[in-house]
Amino acid sequence: MRDFFKSFRFKIFIAFLAFLIGIMIYAVTKGGYAVSGASFINTVTQPFKKVSNNIAIKVETRLDKMSNADDYYNENQRLKKQISELNKQLTAYEDTKNQLEELRKFIGIKEKNKDFILSKPCNVTGYIANDPFMSFTIDKGSDDEIKPYCPVVTGDGLIGITIDVSAHSSTVRTLLSPDLSIAAVTSSSDNAGIIEGSIEQAVAGKTMLKLVPKENSLKNGDLLVTTSTSGLFPKGYSIGTVESISLDTTGLSYSAVIQPSAKIDRLSSVMVITDFNGKDNSYEN
Amino acid sequence: MRIKSSKEKRILVIKTSIRWFLYLFITLLCFLIMNSGTKLHPILLIPVAICMSTQSDELQAAFIGAFCGFLIDIACGKLFGYNAVILAIFCTAISLLYKYLLRQRFINTFLVIAAVSFLQGFLDFKFYYDIWGYSNVGIIFRKYTIPVCFMTLASSIVIYPLFKLINHLLMPKQHLSIEEAIKNYEE
Repeated sequence: MRDFFKSFRFKIFIAFLAFLIGIMIYAVTKGGYAVSGASFINTVTQPFKKVSNNIAIKVETRLDKMSNADDYYNENQRLKKQISELNKQLTAYEDTKNQLEELRKFIGIKEKNKDFILSKPCNVTGYIANDPFMSFTIDKGSDDEIKPYCPVVTGDGLIGITIDVSAHSSTVRTLLSPDLSIAAVTSSSDNAGIIEGSIEQAVAGKTMLKLVPKENSLKNGDLLVTTSTSGLFPKGYSIGTVESISLDTTGLSYSAVIQPSAKIDRLSSVMVITDFNGKDNSYEN
Repeated sequence: MRIKSSKEKRILVIKTSIRWFLYLFITLLCFLIMNSGTKLHPILLIPVAICMSTQSDELQAAFIGAFCGFLIDIACGKLFGYNAVILAIFCTAISLLYKYLLRQRFINTFLVIAAVSFLQGFLDFKFYYDIWGYSNVGIIFRKYTIPVCFMTLASSIVIYPLFKLINHLLMPKQHLSIEEAIKNYEE
């Protein structure tokens, strides 16, 4: 083995390692854009990923139904109660909403928010393997005017932001991630805080509202929406509902567990808001 | 030692081409499986890279490691090149180990895969979660890193025999060409 370390082959190996480290450093300096090698592989493998992901989702859904039948039954009962309550309050709205299909929801986004410039509907090509924060890739990229740090939404609510954008695909960091902070307020009152994921809640598909002042009127079931203070997100877009509230470990503020409005672990298509009133474009540079 | 005829040489080229095509096919298939679904996945490309490296020389192993590493980076959403560097080093070391110390046995490969998958998982946990100071980071180690390591290890039970079969059918035996035989004889 000592011969190997003295050989020309070892020098080639060291040069190759240096080349790989160079690629890694180059990837760091790309500032949110994927390097061309990754971009090429993503483009070539995209159709195969779509097919295999569709198959896997179907298999998983079937297995899920079989193995979690009791949970689904309980969840179904709970949701039925919730639906009946909501129906009393919002019958007309719910009737209309139930008739809308996925694409109609996206049209609704545009109708509600005239200032939004939306991308074409993006298909979710796959979730990042073993990511506790459910990051995923979509089949649209910089060729479709998508840039890094654009908000990603469905008709139900905010999903996250784009990162690592290549020509024909982008990665989406979801609001379950602790690396994404979103200023949020309740829709009914002015209780403000920061939405930021935590490992503990991400495992359960939930996120956290942190740094809520001690004097607040926050209560379970409150709907949280975005504010436009950061310039990253449009104002008034639904994020999720408050599930439980507790005092922070510091004792200086409250935090709350938030159930996202959109079901992040079962997405098939999303939309990217490429521009809106009040957007701070400095994030993209 | 038997001397190869030109017909055998042609067969050797064809067999080697088919062998590398199958290697590539399995690699890309594993990459697609890793990209599918929402549940935890084994890092299938680790046993694949190791099984290929045990049969390759050092530089081939480095390239195999780098290629599989790049694919892992894409599938797992890591910094492009991060796993490529790690696997290039591991695969070269494994190639040297098999050249000088270890024999082609399942138990050896199994232990090597266990060591590599645990080290890769540990480095991943350290660099992507632990050093950033997230609270309750132990959950990631318990619920993601460790299960993925075990799943990767379990996957080697399927992947190793697959490569063993391919190598058994298509790997060239220790033959010499006529020129090499004459050269050896003269020396």
